[in-house]
Amino acid sequence: MNGRVNARRGPWVVGIVAGALLAAALGYLIADQVQAHDRFARAQTSLGVTRHHTGTLSAQLATLRRDLGLLTAQVGSDTTALNQDASQLQGALGALAAAQAHVSQQSSQIDSLTTCLGGVERALNALSVAKRGRAFAALESVASSCSSAAAASG
Amino acid sequence: MWTDVAARSRARNEEAALAAANAHLATLRHDVSLTLFANAVTTAKREALQASIATTLGRLATTNATLSSTTVDAFLQGASIGTLQTCLGGVQNALGRIAAGDNDQAAKDISAVSGPCTQLDGGTSAGLVYPFDFPDPAVILVGQTYYAYATNSVAGNIQIIQSTDRIHWTVVGSALPSLPAWAQSHYTWAPSVAMIGGSFVLYYAANVAGSGKECISVATAARPQGPFVDRSTAPLECQPALGGSIDPDSFIDPNGGLYLLWKSGGPGSSKIWSEQLNGTGTAFAPGATPTVLLTPGQPWEAGTVEAPDLVAVGGRYLLFFSGNNWDGAHYAVGVATCSGPIGTCTDSSTSPILSSGPGVAGPGGESVFSDPAGAYWIAFHGWVPGAVGFPNSRDLYVLPLTVSGSAPAVGAGG
Repeated sequence: MNGRVNARRGPWVVGIVAGALLAAALGYLIADQVQAHDRFARAQTSLGVTRHHTGTLSAQLATLRRDLGLLTAQVGSDTTALNQDASQLQGALGALAAAQAHVSQQSSQIDSLTTCLGGVERALNALSVAKRGRAFAALESVASSCSSAAAASG
Repeated sequence: MWTDVAARSRARNEEAALAAANAHLATLRHDVSLTLFANAVTTAKREALQASIATTLGRLATTNATLSSTTVDAFLQGASIGTLQTCLGGVQNALGRIAAGDNDQAAKDISAVSGPCTQLDGGTSAGLVYPFDFPDPAVILVGQTYYAYATNSVAGNIQIIQSTDRIHWTVVGSALPSLPAWAQSHYTWAPSVAMIGGSFVLYYAANVAGSGKECISVATAARPQGPFVDRSTAPLECQPALGGSIDPDSFIDPNGGLYLLWKSGGPGSSKIWSEQLNGTGTAFAPGATPTVLLTPGQPWEAGTVEAPDLVAVGGRYLLFFSGNNWDGAHYAVGVATCSGPIGTCTDSSTSPILSSGPGVAGPGGESVFSDPAGAYWIAFHGWVPGAVGFPNSRDLYVLPLTVSGSAPAVGAGG
């Protein structure tokens, strides 16, 4: 009796188990699909945000690179200008040094000539009144200046 | 089942795309950071460059300005050197001529460089007109020509130069080529010349040979430029007991009479005298005796009054004189008022009317004269500041003189 009952119950149990398994599988699949859909949605949203950032940054980068190009060109032209100015300055400094040396040399020559002239004039005045000693002393006192003046005059 | 696989695949693909996008974003961020840094560095570099350019341009402008002024200085120095060389050349030539005994040519040599030498002695602003040794000048006007006479120096015993404008003077030579036998050469000082009866009479101080004393003599000439001839056998005036007589000054009184003024003595004992001359001016008037007009009375005179020059102006007698040490920068010119050519005189010059100033030191040995229009001028010698004392030159100066006020004023317009 029990054997026949069990024989009759067997397909039902299998059926129920199979149904449960099927329902479980279906539930799993549905849940998994929902989860996959959520992942997809999140990824898509993030991707949109990322692409937006990417676009903004790309534009900013392009602007920065254009600015950098301009700056680099300006630096190039400024460097060229600075080199030219520095070259001009070197030339002017060289000319100034030469002019100052010339002025210094002429100042020395003027000093020598002035001293020499003073002594020669004193000698002239002294000799004009027969003060030969004073005339000689006056000339002797400016001899080196007169020599320097003569040498500078060539 | 398939839809789940597809969903998973889409999700993975999207996540992969996201990962790639994030990686790209990170790269971009890195690039942006690098570019920002590069921009900052480049901007700083450019700013440094521009600062360097500004500094360089500033230095260039300063250097160019300095170069310009230095070039101008060099040019002016070149002109000064030329002036100095020209003046020195003339003076050197004159020295050589003097050494050879040729005073005439020596005088011409310096006269030829008078212009450059005047510039070197400070120019004409202080009244400098002749930049060589021309002490104790006496100026007269004959026709339209001024003649200036001076103590012996380059041009000879008594120097003469002439001018038609009081500014430009040329050498005539020596007024007194020969001295009387009693006079020693090289000590002929402080001349004064008067035109008396169509003749020109020269008074001067000369050293009596062997005595060491200066005395006054007289010479005559038919022309103002000489030659003057002194036929005397003895001095006209000599006061050996008083240290000698120098600085003669002839004066023709508009009220009649000729007078000679002079100075005797040295520092502390100097006196200015006056005595009437005869009609020809070559001797003192019979019975005349010397009268003291002035003795030192003011502190600035330091015990010495000398170089008298008596001038009659508007009924007044003004006695110009020099005071203090002739060889220093304190020498100066004062003026006293006299009641007549033989006094009495009142020296109220608590300060000189002419003293050291810009362009001249120790002025003195004055000579007052008038131009054809009647304006008065004063000629005097002076040292160039910085070159005071013999044997430096006492150059000739001429300035206008105002005599219309209560006290004469120099340089205020004739």
